[in-house]
Amino acid sequence: MLHVVVFGGLEFSPLVIYFPIAFLLAALTRFALHRLDWHDRIWRVAWFEVSLFVCYLALTVYLLGGR
Amino acid sequence: MAKYLRILLTVLVVVAAIFAGRWVWNDYMHSPWTRDGRIRADIVTVAPDVSGWVTNLNITNDQAVKEGDLLFSVDQKRYQAAFNQSKANTENALYSWQLAKHKYERRTALLSQKAISAEDLESSRISTEIAKANYDLAVAQQATAQLNLDRTQVHAPVSGHIINLNLRQGNYVGQGASVFAIVQSDSFYVTGYFEETKIPLVHLNQQAKITLLSGGKPLTGHVVSIGKAIANTNTQSNGQLLPQVQQTFNWVRLSQRIPVDIKLDPLAEETQLSAGMTATIHLTKR
Repeated sequence: MLHVVVFGGLEFSPLVIYFPIAFLLAALTRFALHRLDWHDRIWRVAWFEVSLFVCYLALTVYLLGGR
Repeated sequence: MAKYLRILLTVLVVVAAIFAGRWVWNDYMHSPWTRDGRIRADIVTVAPDVSGWVTNLNITNDQAVKEGDLLFSVDQKRYQAAFNQSKANTENALYSWQLAKHKYERRTALLSQKAISAEDLESSRISTEIAKANYDLAVAQQATAQLNLDRTQVHAPVSGHIINLNLRQGNYVGQGASVFAIVQSDSFYVTGYFEETKIPLVHLNQQAKITLLSGGKPLTGHVVSIGKAIANTNTQSNGQLLPQVQQTFNWVRLSQRIPVDIKLDPLAEETQLSAGMTATIHLTKR
């Protein structure tokens, strides 16, 4: 149920929180893929990672947005 | 086979990202919500109806008052004197009228004895009517003087809280000049400034969830009105009343903000609202 982020009397868009969370999740996924050595099995890794980031972002907005 | 699986996995994730990105975009850009909301209230400004020194100030800043409570008094002496003068004037006019009436009645009796001309009698009758009109005028003037005297006591027009009280005992107040305001009790509402692109998604009686910048439990309410006009900042009139239209050469045009009023549902006792607070508003989708 995060609609706004208030910091020091300033009001920010909740995307300020959602973006780092999605980035962190994408980074964790990338780390896990490297550790499991599945990284080479993926076609067009850059496309995959960017798309995964967008999916994580949508998921974060959906869950934390209270929808 | 493994190669196709690799490709399929990436393609699936890309397609999912397209749909997810589209959903996020729509959620932000095409949902009826705004962060540009303000708590508002009905403000009643208080101005004395007569001029004079403030002799008695019964209120303090932010004090709660009930409708009809005495707020302050303006010096009565001048208005009391004016009233006394009007009263005496009324009595004078009354006696003048009675005298004229008495003369007319006596002259009416004289006419039967042929001791007075018809013209004198008519003159007497008109004098009586003039005296009566003078009396009516004096009564009206006395009523005005009484009203001015009564208006030296300024009472609360509504129940609410006093705001911005800079008035002090001894200050001179002018007729019709506002001296402070009252925030009417239970009159709080929310105005959300929605982008014009979102207005088609806003409907009357639509449920609203209002989140204050101060946090706390969200408030609820429903849409009661959608603004039908806003000012055009791009156009002014010159001395000849011709429109002066500013030239625009913008690549980006900002959407206008349309005010939408939201009536709040009954509030919890502990909710602290002040007119002017910032609020985020989400309307339910239809």
